[in-house]
Order: sequence, then structure tokens, then C-alpha cells
Amino acid sequence: MESFPVAFDQNFSGTADDFPALLRRKGLLAPAAAFNPAPQGGTPQQKSFQPTEATTILAFKFSGGVLVAGDRRATAGTTVVYDRADKVLEIDRHSIMAIAGVPATAWEMARVLEHSFQYFRRTQLQEMSVDGKVRALSKLLRDNFGFVMQGVGVVVPIFATYNSHPKPEARLYFYDAMGAQFEATDYAATGSGSPAVRGILYYENNWGAKPLRKLSEDEAVSIALRALDTAAESDTSTGGVDRGGKIYPLIKIVSRQGITTLPERKIAAVFKETVA
Amino acid sequence: MIEEPYRWVEAIANRREYIEAQLAPGSPIAALGYRDGILFLTLGQTRQKIFEIYDRIAMGAIGHPGDIERLRMAAIELASTEGFTRSAADVSLRRLVHYSLSPLMKGAFEQVYGAPYLARMLFAEVGERPEADLFLRVEYDGEIATNGATFAQARQDFAVLSGTRQSRESMEAFLKTEHTPGASFETALKSALDAWSIGHMALQTTDAKELPERAAVTKYRQEQLAHTGIEAGILEREAGRAIRYRPLLDKDLRALINE
Repeated sequence: MESFPVAFDQNFSGTADDFPALLRRKGLLAPAAAFNPAPQGGTPQQKSFQPTEATTILAFKFSGGVLVAGDRRATAGTTVVYDRADKVLEIDRHSIMAIAGVPATAWEMARVLEHSFQYFRRTQLQEMSVDGKVRALSKLLRDNFGFVMQGVGVVVPIFATYNSHPKPEARLYFYDAMGAQFEATDYAATGSGSPAVRGILYYENNWGAKPLRKLSEDEAVSIALRALDTAAESDTSTGGVDRGGKIYPLIKIVSRQGITTLPERKIAAVFKETVA
Repeated sequence: MIEEPYRWVEAIANRREYIEAQLAPGSPIAALGYRDGILFLTLGQTRQKIFEIYDRIAMGAIGHPGDIERLRMAAIELASTEGFTRSAADVSLRRLVHYSLSPLMKGAFEQVYGAPYLARMLFAEVGERPEADLFLRVEYDGEIATNGATFAQARQDFAVLSGTRQSRESMEAFLKTEHTPGASFETALKSALDAWSIGHMALQTTDAKELPERAAVTKYRQEQLAHTGIEAGILEREAGRAIRYRPLLDKDLRALINE
């Protein structure tokens, strides 16, 4: 019986073994790195922790749910390596993870997260709760923190989802690189361009024509585009809107009905009318 | 004891007889490929019998709940890790069953000092076209039956599972004449309910050679529907998303059956 490809000694209830643990058991996911690795090669390095990463991601609640927007630029140092990067990722029918940070780690995390939610639903025969999903991402970030301290693989995500019960409402969370989660009441921004964005969203929410929560979809898109364009103005790592190449930010909306990806022509129309 | 070969054969035969007796009261499950996907259906309200395995794969099972659970978990683990390391498109039901589950079940069945799996399973994988739908029935001894064409039979766009061979064959005989792959959902739903009724009727008798009269089937179906719930799920052909499985609610189905 020893050579069968299926584990006999597994915990069949599945409750103690989540998907990342299953992957680690099978050697398909790197083990969590230690927080304080011994200095290698006799050259003790001074670790400097960089809390922000080169991009701009923003999310805020408006009348139709949560809008999540990200620019499309991917950089390596001062070089632009890709101008159509997708940093706003759908995890399941109602959840979006938007990422700032090292793409390799971030996309891997999104993949693990996506499979974790489905694995939970299939094995436990129920949807994972919103709190469970938020914790799952937090745990991935914590497992990754050893790599962050080694200077590789920092990821600072935003997580937006829709909670259907007990009270139907859009939920928005942002994280730090250690995995602490914070629920945002109105808006969140992350990445190197986020200080400018945060300023704009704060201003709009308090003294704008309407608070963010009351905005219509077109108004919300307009503010997201203006905010990203402002961030790109001073931050070289943020693509903003490429007027020449006609590359627009990626915008997705989470609502009760699920996730909608706004078509480029719609974004282009709002841009032309209210931003350009 | 079983050092001698004939003793081993005898032990296996006893074990087969024991498992068949245990599985005999199992309520039938029908899986029908129709125009827009694959419908899984059974009646009952004690335990869940139809499960999602992966994006395009679902399973129905009868047997001991503990064994079903172990096999279900094994199938989900294999499919999920494959889908994670490669891609969802690389998860194939054929490989899952032929190379992983069947050897596992055969091994357990033939180890006469260990416990066999008390389970009979029906898997289906939805294809891009009805002709690409795959149905596999896996027995407790690892034997696999497919819906593909053989010398003995033409390709079938359905598969069924039941407690006894006689019950299963009655359902197959019925679906062979009644079911077409181009059927609408409503038609497939009615065929599946009738097939279930025929299979369940066959479990009550020992000598049903002929299929029961149409009126008797309808009457039996109405009687059963009056006091049991419908459990059903579909694998959609064009869902517009990767996950094709969707459980169906009893009350939504009853609205379609109205007669």
C-alpha cells in the first residue's frame, strides 16, 4: 500500500490542513522563511525595510459597491519593464486582491489564495466566511515576512469583497507587509504613489461635491482616474494614463452581483470627458 | 489461511458478496449530458450524495459515508494540487480516475487483511461539446466503466449508479431510448427523474425483467417527490467562468416539473 499516490494518513476532515499546508506537505510551496536568517558569507547586511513598493493601487466604496483601480506599469529599479501589468486580480466571484509589491510573490499569493477558497468550499461544502478569507491572506503575508526581512518579496495588498450575510455590504481591507489587516471605512491606497492618492481621496471624501460613498459609477471612475493621474505626475513607478499608447488603468467593481471589469472604452470615455 | 491461492480467491469472493450486500440499498444517481451541460440528480434527504470535485468535474457516490469522504478528499486534493502547479486545463478526469483512484481502490479491495472501500462512484467531466463529455463509474474494486463506445455498445451521453446491477441496467435501458444529448434542461430533468424512479422501483423487486409501464413510473415518481427532496447539481458547458459546477435548489427544480 505504500506506493499509492494518494495519502492514506491525511486528516480527512480537512479542517486542520488548509490549502497552503497541503501544498507545503507535497513540496509545492516554499516553506515560511525564518524572520532572522543568519548572515551569509560573513558579510552582515543592514536590512532596510521598504514599506512601499513601486506602483499605485487604490480602492474606495461608492454607491455601487467597491471600486478597485490599479495602474499598469511594472518597474525594475528605474526601468519600465511592462506597461500592461494586471495588478487587480479576481480571487473568486466576490473578492478582489490588488497588489503592490514584488510581482512574483504577489501573483503566487493570489494563486494560492484563489485555490485556498475553492479548496475550502469543495472540501468543507460551504463558502469560506469573509473573516476567514481576510485571515487567509493575512497568514500568507505573515509566512512571507521572513523573505521581506531578507529584502525580497515584499507585498502590500488591498482586499475587497462583498459580504452577503448577515448584513449585505461591501468590505474593504488593507494590510501591512507583516500581515496585519485593517478594515477601511471609506478608502484605501497602497504602493509608492499612494500618498498623493490618499490625499485626494481624503479631500474628496470630506470636501468634495459628494462623499465617496454617494458617488455614481461614472463619478467614481472619474475620481479614480484623476487620482492615478496625479500619482503618476510625481511618482515615476506609476503609469497613470498613457495618453499616447491609449493604456488605461484597470478598474474593477465588486458588488452584490459579483465582479465587473470595466471595459476600456468606458474608461476611455470617462477619461476623455472629465480628466484629459 | 490465505497462503494458498484458492483461499485468496475465496476471500475476495466473500468480500465482493459482502460489499454488494452493503451497497444494495443505495439510492440511484443519474448523470445526463444535455445541450448546456451535465445534470446530476438523485432523490433523498439523509446525506449529500453529489459533490463538486474541481472546475469541470463532479461526483456522485453511494456507500459508507466515511469511505466516500476519504475518496472525495483524495480526489479534491489531487485535482487541486494539479490545478495549482500546472493549470486548471491540465486537470483531467481520465487521469484522476485511471491513474490515482482506481489503483487505490483495487489495492484496498485486494488486501484481504485490510478494509476495502465501501463505495461506488460516478464521475463526470463537462466538455466543450456534448460529444466531449466524459462519464466514469468506479467500483469498489477499482473497476472502471466509461460512456465511450465499445464493441458491445454505442457511446452514451449519460451514466447511472445504483445499489444493484439490475437497477442500474433498468435505468440504462430507459435512458438509451429516452435521452438525447441535444435535450433541453427541462427534458433532461424529467428523464433523470424518471430514470431515478425506474432505478428505485427495481431496487424494491427482484425479478423485474421488463421496464415498468410509463403510467406506473409517473405515479411512483409523484409519490416519491411528495415526501423526499431532490438533490441535483449541474456542470455548465458555457458558464462564462472557470468554475462550472452549480448546485441546484429543490424548490427551483419543482417549479420546472409542475405537472
